[in-house]
Amino acid sequence: MGAFSPHLTLGFKIDIFIYTIIFARLAITVSMNNNELWQSVLAQMQLSISKANFATWFQNTEISQKENEKVVISVPNAFSKEWLSNKYYKIMLKTMRDIDGGIKELEFVINPQALRSLPTQSQPQKEIEKIDAEQLKFDEFKVNKETNLNPRYTFENFVVGSFNDLAYAAGQAVCENPGYAYNPLFIYGGVGLGKTHLMQAIGNKIAGDPKKKKVKYIPSEKLISNIVAAIRSNTMEAFKASLAPIDVLIIDDVQFIAGKVKTQQEFFHAFNSLYEKNKQIILSSDRQPNAIPELEERLRSRFEGGMIIDVNLPDYETRLVILKQKLQEKNLKLPEEILEYIASHVKKNVRELEGALNSVLIYYKINSNIPTLDVAKKLLKSFIFSPFDVTNYKKIIEVVSKFYNLEEKHLFDVTRRKEIVKPRQIAMFLLRKELKYSFPAIARKFGGKDHTTVIYAYKKILREVEENNKLTEEINLIKQRVYSG
Amino acid sequence: MKIEILKENLKSGINVVERVVGKNISLPILDNMLMTAEDTFLSLVSTDLETAIKLWILTKIIKKGSVVVPAKFLSSLITSLPNEKITIEAKGQDLSVESSAIKTQIKGFNPEDFPIIPEFNRDEFLEVDNKIFFEGLGQVINIASPSQSRPEISGIYFHFLKNIITIAATDSFRLAEKHITLKEPVKKEFSFILPQKPARELMAILENQEGILKIFFSQNQALFELPMKETNHPKAQITSRLIDGEYPNYQDIIPAKFKTNAVVKKDEFLTQIKTASLFSGKVSEVKIALNAEKKELEIFSKNPDIGENRSSMPIQISGQSIEVSFNYKYIIDGLANIKGSEVMFDVSKEEGPCILRPVGDGSYMYVVMPIKSMQ
Repeated sequence: MGAFSPHLTLGFKIDIFIYTIIFARLAITVSMNNNELWQSVLAQMQLSISKANFATWFQNTEISQKENEKVVISVPNAFSKEWLSNKYYKIMLKTMRDIDGGIKELEFVINPQALRSLPTQSQPQKEIEKIDAEQLKFDEFKVNKETNLNPRYTFENFVVGSFNDLAYAAGQAVCENPGYAYNPLFIYGGVGLGKTHLMQAIGNKIAGDPKKKKVKYIPSEKLISNIVAAIRSNTMEAFKASLAPIDVLIIDDVQFIAGKVKTQQEFFHAFNSLYEKNKQIILSSDRQPNAIPELEERLRSRFEGGMIIDVNLPDYETRLVILKQKLQEKNLKLPEEILEYIASHVKKNVRELEGALNSVLIYYKINSNIPTLDVAKKLLKSFIFSPFDVTNYKKIIEVVSKFYNLEEKHLFDVTRRKEIVKPRQIAMFLLRKELKYSFPAIARKFGGKDHTTVIYAYKKILREVEENNKLTEEINLIKQRVYSG
Repeated sequence: MKIEILKENLKSGINVVERVVGKNISLPILDNMLMTAEDTFLSLVSTDLETAIKLWILTKIIKKGSVVVPAKFLSSLITSLPNEKITIEAKGQDLSVESSAIKTQIKGFNPEDFPIIPEFNRDEFLEVDNKIFFEGLGQVINIASPSQSRPEISGIYFHFLKNIITIAATDSFRLAEKHITLKEPVKKEFSFILPQKPARELMAILENQEGILKIFFSQNQALFELPMKETNHPKAQITSRLIDGEYPNYQDIIPAKFKTNAVVKKDEFLTQIKTASLFSGKVSEVKIALNAEKKELEIFSKNPDIGENRSSMPIQISGQSIEVSFNYKYIIDGLANIKGSEVMFDVSKEEGPCILRPVGDGSYMYVVMPIKSMQ
């Protein structure tokens, strides 16, 4: 056995050697097909025509394809195509045949250059944007037509703090493994806390991934109007088909489908067919699924089937980071004390924070001097002492009845129906807690009930808040709305 | 080549084709135009490799042939000639131009070196009355802004569906849209984005022309063809490359719900805005208040260095009272493109898009974004 082995080894080595030669030759021909072949044509052409002509007609040309006898040359525009095919066809073909005798035919295709924005152009553009910051723009133009996403929202400019780190982590997990990590991902929280930003950032990240997942962002108003239009024009099937190829479906403000029976029905089917195929679904709402009124049970249970996370109000430190980040995006600077002032006084939500910052920046731009703290205080009056900071009887009644989808007058009905009693008790509770109304005063407001009834309601809710997380959430959301206008 | 032609005819032809001729350092042949004597026509061609203009002039042809000569120079020469019949003849590559009293010879180039104007498959086309098209394009064309970082919205958007041409343009602060109704529906839906520059050349050529304009289109190019009055031979062809890219879904920015709807007398509105503009500051801001109780439109502007201005006019109004600030230029642009004496002025919300459109004409719409008020 041992005596044979050197022979075997040797034979094997020779084989490898031969293969290597064949492969090397193949490799040469392959690369010749593309770049080198074209380069030799260019080298030849350079000798036969003037420099200006060469630069004009051969710029951005290349061999895009080679099939046996035919070479396809891509050219940047129709003029180049006409010129090359009419003037230089023969000489180009001849040059190529000298290298590869098999080529018999050339074909030209127009391949418009990728839209390039010259660096020289982007400079004045920035300038204009700076001056016209007050001029409002059509925001929707930035939106990607394919995905409906706004590229402005990314994870890079998403500020993470204790109030949203869980949501952020869940979003990251979804990006890494769309369809499998948390499906559906349900994000809820008050207005202006970054739900849309987070969802769009997830969408943008997945869409930008080389795996080429198909992402679609649909605000729920749009979903409703699409479904209504599809029903009216009898094109429901086409609408469903348009959702079928989507890998990641993002629905914003899903609470708006409350009470829209037909929309819920169609959405339920769309949801199921995507979910079955392990397609990622991301939803946002201003409250958790079980607090959305008039939501079909089967939809609710599906919304709750994945991961439910909330975003809260940012704390002071995070607010400061957000302000600094916004400034950096705009490439501007403001004194630290002003930022601290804004961060400590504007607490409602991130949108408000941005508004406050903008009003200081506008002053800065118009007067082109840095505002002092006193000036800033004056400018920010409307944000800090906004009428929303204080609430009133009317507002509480309005928000509570809206939250539970009741008409305001039903809160005052003389009835013990459960769906009215609870909201009524919550309204009484809030009037006491937030406005410090006296119990008899509240009793009078509710049609002359006995004040002990009010005391009972107040205590009951107070007790339940401690025991029942769901109720706590509800009351928090109601409070957020009472104060966020 | 040898022809006899009236100076006026040649002059007007050269004026058209020399529009796309610029100073081209890398390819000097583009400074020239190609003159060809065909059977009964003299044709003139010029190009900047993005747009090409081809024009035919009916004239007396003595000998066929072609010559390439500097366009601007020939234009100046012809202008200086007396208004009479002139004889043009190729002498080798050069061109001799003779009138009764003057004899000149211009150095030319080899016609073989002149770029070939790309042809494309002309299956897809539509026909539209030139006057209507000219007017419609004119209402939209100036809204596009050439210095965009996004090339697809730097052009003019054309969309053909059934018997409607939709033309739209935007600079992302405002948007104009015009519908033109065709007599014959198009075979299938098509859209393209024409760069603004060739669109302007097109406007210059179509002005004061009559007849039916033919528009041919393909994936990369569009061709606009104007007929000759006397024969059915084309009189002028403008070929342009198109902007590659998808036009944004601008329907989404047009608001459907409004806080306030008003009807305003156009001329009065325009005059008052112009007056107010004199007092507007650095940001060109004029504030417009629609007052539902007084049924008035108030315009206010002020500038710490100059003073302030306040004016008002009666209007028809429904909805709430509202105040919105605008860059006055954008309002003037919108009003200037509106025909008719009354304008609908619809405000969606504070800091939301507003719409100007003529009363009784649903074919035109001008959407404009306000500015954040400083006052």
